[in-house]
Amino acid sequence: MKNLDDVIKNNLHGLHYGNRVLIPFVADVLKAVIENDIIVDFSSTKTGAYYKKHDDFTEIYFYDYKNLEEVISQYETIKLVIVEKGKSIFDFGTHRKIALRLQKNHKLIIEELNDDILFVE
Amino acid sequence: MASIKRSILFIFLLLFQAVDLFASEGGETHALPEPLMVIPFAVLLIMIATGPLFYHHFWERNYPKVAIVLGSITVFYYLVFLNDTYHLLHTATEYISFIALLASLFVATGGILIRVDRKSTPFLNIALLLFGSVIADIIGTTGASMLLIRPYIKINKNRIKPYHIIFFIFSVSNIGGSLTPIGDPPLFLGFLRGIEFFWFFKNIWFIWIITLAILMLVFYFFDSRNKGDEDPNTVYTGKIEFKGAKNLVYLGIILISVFIDPGVISWVPSLAPLPIGIRELIMFSVVYLSYKTADKEILKYNEFNFEPIREVAFLFVGIFATMMPALQLISYQAQQLGEHLTPGIFYWATGLLSGFLDNAPTFLNFLSAALGKYGMNVDIKQQVHEFSVLHPLYIEAISVAAVFFGAMTYIGNGPNFMVKSICERAGIKMPSFFGYLMKYSIPILLPIFAIIWFIFYY
Repeated sequence: MKNLDDVIKNNLHGLHYGNRVLIPFVADVLKAVIENDIIVDFSSTKTGAYYKKHDDFTEIYFYDYKNLEEVISQYETIKLVIVEKGKSIFDFGTHRKIALRLQKNHKLIIEELNDDILFVE
Repeated sequence: MASIKRSILFIFLLLFQAVDLFASEGGETHALPEPLMVIPFAVLLIMIATGPLFYHHFWERNYPKVAIVLGSITVFYYLVFLNDTYHLLHTATEYISFIALLASLFVATGGILIRVDRKSTPFLNIALLLFGSVIADIIGTTGASMLLIRPYIKINKNRIKPYHIIFFIFSVSNIGGSLTPIGDPPLFLGFLRGIEFFWFFKNIWFIWIITLAILMLVFYFFDSRNKGDEDPNTVYTGKIEFKGAKNLVYLGIILISVFIDPGVISWVPSLAPLPIGIRELIMFSVVYLSYKTADKEILKYNEFNFEPIREVAFLFVGIFATMMPALQLISYQAQQLGEHLTPGIFYWATGLLSGFLDNAPTFLNFLSAALGKYGMNVDIKQQVHEFSVLHPLYIEAISVAAVFFGAMTYIGNGPNFMVKSICERAGIKMPSFFGYLMKYSIPILLPIFAIIWFIFYY
């Protein structure tokens, strides 16, 4: 099973289809920012966002957007605070900030956020 | 207090009173709109206030349509029922000028990256807010806000709270810009009408200092109690890094272009009756060029996108269109009641309306009423200049109120909304329209503005 470091080190990408993104590792999502939306409630399967952990990937649905490609522009990203599987969710040291950059042909670039990009947990 | 009550009564009166004829600035006579035509404006304001709160996703998807539909009702009324193209053209000109300045500053500053690697402290924050307030008078409140909001958030990333942003909006996005005509659009209109460039500095600097000093004291009270959750072992280099210097040239071009107006430089051609001038063409060119030539890495770091300016463009096209009847009614009532108005009433009336309406036309209408008190005409430069020398207190009260009260709501001034949008995209949960009003501007700003009124205009 891959983790975030493997994904970044090996330039592995995720996928996006419509309002759904798939990231190639397993993680809990604590916070998501997409456009002006700050999402921290992942309990609904109808509005906001919902994520599902599979054996070796995580899928996230953004219900309020039909097609993410139409709203996320060239320099924008979807920002997430995640905790990888097997790490303590209660330890702030394990919380990692990532950015998802949408590219053509359903390719999703995953980057760890550095200090230059604004994202407050 | 009596003065405040009279001001509120005056505002109510002007919104619900009298249908008559009045002479427009253009010298033509136009029918006054029905007071009921204020409804689209009220509906738009209510939707801006409640949309993000109660029907967020409908609002996110449909605010451009709502703004356009409500604006179209007013435009249709002016075209068909009032047969008044003068006000439509005039409003279109002001809107294009407004959005050209905001868009050019937004794009040019989007290509600049400032890194400040220092520990966040109340004193550093106060220094940054004061620095922003000073440069707001050099590059405008929009320019200063766009330039500094990102480094300000980064410095405070481990202890950021909504109050940090609110005080930024109060000082850098509004109050700071009250010393020069470049600072805020109403003052620029005053400058175009005949008030000297440095008049505002000479007459307002002490109010600027007092207001910001009180504001910074209140900020210190909040910020010194916020300890944050920073790792005590974090090491800071103390460095300040600046990238994207070529965009400073674009900022310079925007600032110079502000003066490229037939009202300032006689040889500048006017493109009237087109609702656009040479200045706006230059500003729109800067939008294109600064975006095309910007360092892509910086755009990526700033997560540059056009959505914040698009949001302002759509909302304000609705606001500019729907507020025409309100402004016309205010203008009429101000002329009628001008003789009874004291500087204190001018202060509160201009201020309370500037919090919700565009402060530039509000400033102009009350300036016109103040001149009218002394039989002077706002369209005659010499008389405006004379008035500024003989009766400075009136212009001072109107100017201070028009700029300061822009901080009362998110819609009080263009940059307020843009700062809010940038913060939300950075994951900072901002207060709602009412939250901003009830938690911050009414308890913090209103008492400060009352002190200013009591000291200077009571």
